[in-house]
Amino acid sequence: MYWLRGGFVFTRVVSPFHRLDPRIKLLVSLEFFLTSLITKTVPEVLAVLLAILGVAALAKSLKRIARTMAFSGLFALFIFAVNFLFGIGLLNAVVYSVRFLAIISSTSIFFVTTSPDELEQIMTWMHVPRDVVFAFVTAVRFIPVVMLDALQIMDAQKSRGLEFERGNVVKRVRNMVPIMIPLVVNSVIRSGELAEAMESRAYGSTPKPTSLYKMNLRWYDAAVAAAGLAVLAAVALYIYHYVHFGA
Amino acid sequence: MGAERIGGSGRKPILSVEHLSFRYPDSKRPALTDVNLEVGEGEVVILAGPSGCGKSTLLRCVNGLIPHMYPGDYSGKVAVAGLEVASTQMSTLAQNVGLLFQNPENQIFMFSVERDVAFGLQNLAVPRGEMRARVDESMRLLGITDLAHRAPHELSDGQKQRAALAGVLAMRPRLIILDEPTSLLDPKTALDVVSLIARLNGELGITFIVVEHRLELLTPIASRLVVMDGGTKVMDGPPRAVLADPSAEAHGVGAPPVVRLYNSLAAEGLRLPRFPDSPDEMAQELNSL
Amino acid sequence: MKALDGVTLSIGGGETVAIVGENGAGKTTLVRHTNGLLKPTSGSVKVDGVETRSTTTATLSRKIGIAFQNPDHQLFSDSVENEVRFAMRNFRFPEERIAERLEWALSFFGLEQYRKSSPLVLSGGEKKRLTLASILAWDPDVVVLDEPTVGQDSLQKAKLAQIFSLLRSTGKTIVIVSHDVEFLWPLQPRLVVMSGGKVVADGEMAKTMADRGLLEGARVTQPQLLRLYAGLRDAPASPFVDVSQARDWASGKKSGRRGG
Repeated sequence: MYWLRGGFVFTRVVSPFHRLDPRIKLLVSLEFFLTSLITKTVPEVLAVLLAILGVAALAKSLKRIARTMAFSGLFALFIFAVNFLFGIGLLNAVVYSVRFLAIISSTSIFFVTTSPDELEQIMTWMHVPRDVVFAFVTAVRFIPVVMLDALQIMDAQKSRGLEFERGNVVKRVRNMVPIMIPLVVNSVIRSGELAEAMESRAYGSTPKPTSLYKMNLRWYDAAVAAAGLAVLAAVALYIYHYVHFGA
Repeated sequence: MGAERIGGSGRKPILSVEHLSFRYPDSKRPALTDVNLEVGEGEVVILAGPSGCGKSTLLRCVNGLIPHMYPGDYSGKVAVAGLEVASTQMSTLAQNVGLLFQNPENQIFMFSVERDVAFGLQNLAVPRGEMRARVDESMRLLGITDLAHRAPHELSDGQKQRAALAGVLAMRPRLIILDEPTSLLDPKTALDVVSLIARLNGELGITFIVVEHRLELLTPIASRLVVMDGGTKVMDGPPRAVLADPSAEAHGVGAPPVVRLYNSLAAEGLRLPRFPDSPDEMAQELNSL
Repeated sequence: MKALDGVTLSIGGGETVAIVGENGAGKTTLVRHTNGLLKPTSGSVKVDGVETRSTTTATLSRKIGIAFQNPDHQLFSDSVENEVRFAMRNFRFPEERIAERLEWALSFFGLEQYRKSSPLVLSGGEKKRLTLASILAWDPDVVVLDEPTVGQDSLQKAKLAQIFSLLRSTGKTIVIVSHDVEFLWPLQPRLVVMSGGKVVADGEMAKTMADRGLLEGARVTQPQLLRLYAGLRDAPASPFVDVSQARDWASGKKSGRRGG
C-alpha cells in the first residue's frame, strides 16, 4: 500500500527536474529503464542505479525513491536467491536483482515527478483517443477518494462486528464481501454522477477539445534531451562493440 | 428584501416549462405530471418538496439531461433562453444553463482546480486565450484564485463546491440550477455558498433555481418558493405566502421556527410589518411593538 | 497537529448527548474512539469500565452501535432481512433471538414490506432507516449517530425525532453528532461543543447555546428561537423573564406576555 503511494503517486514539488517538459521526463525514465536492461556487470548496473539516485536528488525526491527501493528490496532478494539457486553465478545474480531495483526506481521517478495533468498532455500528444485519456486521468484523480471510501466502509462494517483479521483463508475472503460490494456500488453511483456532470459541461461536443496549457520545449529540455541521447548513443556504441568484439 | 428580486414583468422568461410530463422507462409511475413553471430572468427561486417529489427530475429536464441522456416517456415543452431543450444539443444548452450537483466530489474531474474550471471550455473548443481569461475571471468571482493549482483531495468540501461552481460559471450560463448544494456542508459553509449565490445574482444578474430543504438559508434571498409533491407543482409564490399556508407542512416543507412563530402570531391577529428573514429581524420587529 | 487535544468527557447511562462543532473540530474523530476504531495516542477511553485499547472493535460494538453518515458505506446484503441479521450473526446471537430482534426492528422502523427486497433499491430515507434498524437490532446500550438528518426532508426528520424520543424512553444512551441545531433543539439534549480538537462547552443545551461569542468562535449556529429570545431579552423593555417563558409563548401559550 505505502509502497505504491510513496513510489508512484505524484506530489507537487518545485525542482529543476519537475520543471522539465513531461516528454523529456518520460525520455529520461525510458533511458534509465533501457540502460539498466542492457547492463551486464555489477559496476555497470550500480552506475545506472547511482545515476537514477542522482536524478532523484535533482528532483528533490531522493528519500521517496530510496524508500521505494527499500520496499522493493525483499523482492530483489527473492530474485537474487532464485537466480543464484539456478546456478548462474553469484555476480550475475547480484546484477539481476540490482537491475530489478533500477527498473522499479526508473519507473518510479517518472510517476513521482509527473502530474496526472501532464500525463494527460503526453497521451494527447501521442494521439491516444480522448475518451481513453479522460478515463485515465479521472481514474487517477479518484484514487484517493476510493481509498478513503474503502477505509470508511471497513470502519462501518467493523462496527457491526465484522472481524477480518481472524480466520482461515476462506473466512477472510468471505469477510471481504461486505467491503467489496459497497465499494463497487459506490463506484457505480459515482460513475453515474460523473457522467451527468460531464454531459452538463458539454463533454463530447467536439472531437478536438482545446486546452489551457501547451507543452513547450525550452532550452533546458533540449539540453537534457541532447545529453540523454548522447548517453544512449554511447551505450549503443558500447553494445555494438561488445557484440562484435566480445569485450 | 427578497421581494425586490422578482424578474420584471414584460420581459421574456428565462425558463418556460409547459405541461411537462415525464416517465422513466423502467418505472410504472410518471416522475412528473403536467408541470407548468415560468421563471423570469434575475429571479432566485427555491424548489422544495418531500423526497421523491420530482424536484431532481425537473432540474434534469431543464438542463437537458432529460431527454438527451435519459430518454423516456416525455411530453410537453421546456424552453431555456428561448431554446427548446428537447431539440437543442447539450453543447448549446450547457452555455445557457448550468447544473451544480449535490456531491462536491463527483463533479470535479481534473487533478488541478484551474484545469477543472476550464473543463467545460475545453469541450466547447474555446481558444486558449479566451479560456485563460474566463477561467481566471471565474476563479476570482468565486474567491478561489489561490487554489488554482491544488488537487481536489487537498480541498475542503466548501472549497470543492466553489471550484465546481466556478467550472459551471466559466461557461457563462444565464441560468444556474443547483441540486441541494449545501446538504453535505456544515451550516457556516452553507451560508458562504448562499452569499455567493446572492452576489452572483446581484452582480451578474444570473437567474438561480435552488433545490433545498433548509429553507431558512435561502428565504432571505429568494423571491419565490415553488413546492412540488408527487410529480406535480402544488404551490408557487413568494416565500412568505407559501410558508403562511398550513398545507405547506403536509407537502414536506417545514417552515423555519421564526416563520412558524410569525404565522401563529398572524393567526392570532398580530401581523408584523415585515416578514422576518432571520431571528434578528423578528426580534427587532417585536421590540418595536 | 492534534485531532483531539485533552478531551475529557463522561457519559452516563440513559443520557442523550449532542456533539456539535464545525467540520474538522474533531467530532468524528471522537466518535471513532468510542468503539475502538481509533485508539488514543495518550489518555484512555473506557466503555463500561473496559479500556478500548485492551479489546477489539468487534467486541466493543456489542455495547456501542455507531450509525455512520453514509448508508451506502454499509448496505451490501441480498435482502433487507439479511442486512438486519448481519451484525447479530457476527455477534453469534442464538437463532431465536435473531428472529425476534429482526421482527422488532422491521416493525419499529416500518420496513416490513421490504423484507425480501434488496437494500440497494430503497430510497434514501428508507436506507437511512435500514441502517438504524440493523444497528438497533442487536440492542446496543449506546447508540451513536453521525449526522442522522443530512439530506432528509422535514417529514423524514419528524419521523427520526419520534424514533429518538421512543429510544430515550427505553433508557438507551444516545449520542448524536449533528450540525442541525434546529432538529436538536426540541430534544433538549446535553450539549457538547467542540472546536479545534477541544471541548469548549458541555452542559444543558439552553445554557450552552446562549453564549453567542462561544458559538461564533466554534462556528456553530444558534437555534432560531434562542437567537430570537436573546434579541428580545437584550432589548430594554423585554416582556420575557426567562427562556422557558419565551419558549412557551413561542409555542402558542400566552402566559407571561405583557403589553400588546
